[in-house]
Amino acid sequence: MLTRPSTILTALLGPTERGPRSVLAPLWPVAVARILIGILWLFALRWKLPPSFDGGSERGLREWLDLMVANPTIEPYGRLVDSVVIPNFEVFAWVLFLTELTVGLSLLLGFRARIGALIGLALALNLGVGLAAVPGEWPWSYAMLAMWHGVFFVTDAGRVWGLDARRPPPDDTRFDSADPNARSGQEAIT
Amino acid sequence: MTTQATPAAPADGAAAYAVPMLRIVLGVIILATWWGNVRDELYTADGLTGLIDWLFTEAPDGNGSTLGFYQSILDAVVVPIAGVVATVQLVVEFLFGLGLLLGAFTRLSSLLALGFFVSLFLGYFGGEEWIWTYVLLGAAAVTVFLGWGGRRLGVDQALAARRGPSPAGILW
Repeated sequence: MLTRPSTILTALLGPTERGPRSVLAPLWPVAVARILIGILWLFALRWKLPPSFDGGSERGLREWLDLMVANPTIEPYGRLVDSVVIPNFEVFAWVLFLTELTVGLSLLLGFRARIGALIGLALALNLGVGLAAVPGEWPWSYAMLAMWHGVFFVTDAGRVWGLDARRPPPDDTRFDSADPNARSGQEAIT
Repeated sequence: MTTQATPAAPADGAAAYAVPMLRIVLGVIILATWWGNVRDELYTADGLTGLIDWLFTEAPDGNGSTLGFYQSILDAVVVPIAGVVATVQLVVEFLFGLGLLLGAFTRLSSLLALGFFVSLFLGYFGGEEWIWTYVLLGAAAVTVFLGWGGRRLGVDQALAARRGPSPAGILW
């Protein structure tokens, strides 16, 4: 039972250093980031809500697509958006809406989070390529967004504080349920 | 050389490199932005006060940030000594960016980076800027700190091997 503040702090931060060459890192910060980024994707839906997919008082999806065409990072990508996506706006808008909704829920709940992370990675890279040259955009935001999805994928982030923890452990025993560190949401770093 | 308490933990798997990679990307982002700011002469008294003015000026002329209490703090504490703060920021931002890139004094570097991102979050909050940027960056700094991000692919690995545990667990 956790009673003293120092005990609670130790439990949160992990047992920390076990010697000069060995530390245990808690995985809960990755779980917190997963939940936050799940909320981010769901929050981003508000400027692409069906059926109009406009952003109300903010810039809507169609306006962002126009900016991608006007400020292409890669010329062929701008032409693709202009010639394929915009003429079929409604189809692509629905696909994007449902995809971002799926990724947001997957990461928020930690359900099939590796799949959600892979799709989120593709979305983040697409955003980076599409918007990097748009005035006022900071391309590093998309680099960090992509990086986080990579982290969620390789750490199987849904297994800590997520529904994926209810699934049987994978064959590679990365998070072997018999492993006390895995059960407490930690991993050996060195 | 590594020691490992549990064979099942991913000490040699891709997951073990997740936090160090996060740290390296964070370092690259901070240093690239630092260099851009140097070229834009942002680390000067005029550059810093101009940024603060721009933050709290309504869009489209400024960012339109809304946290009045933070504006008051900046106006009262930073603006009167903007030249000093800008110089300190020039040096400290470079050092913690380099620390994160190299994995040197990573725990201290990530704490300083976190303070920097919290300050930016408060400064940009409510305006035109995409505020989630600072959530992503802040979460990365926290994860690098708690995940001992310099103990792999970093100088801290050698520091820990040579000098033992870090004083108060705060440096490496």
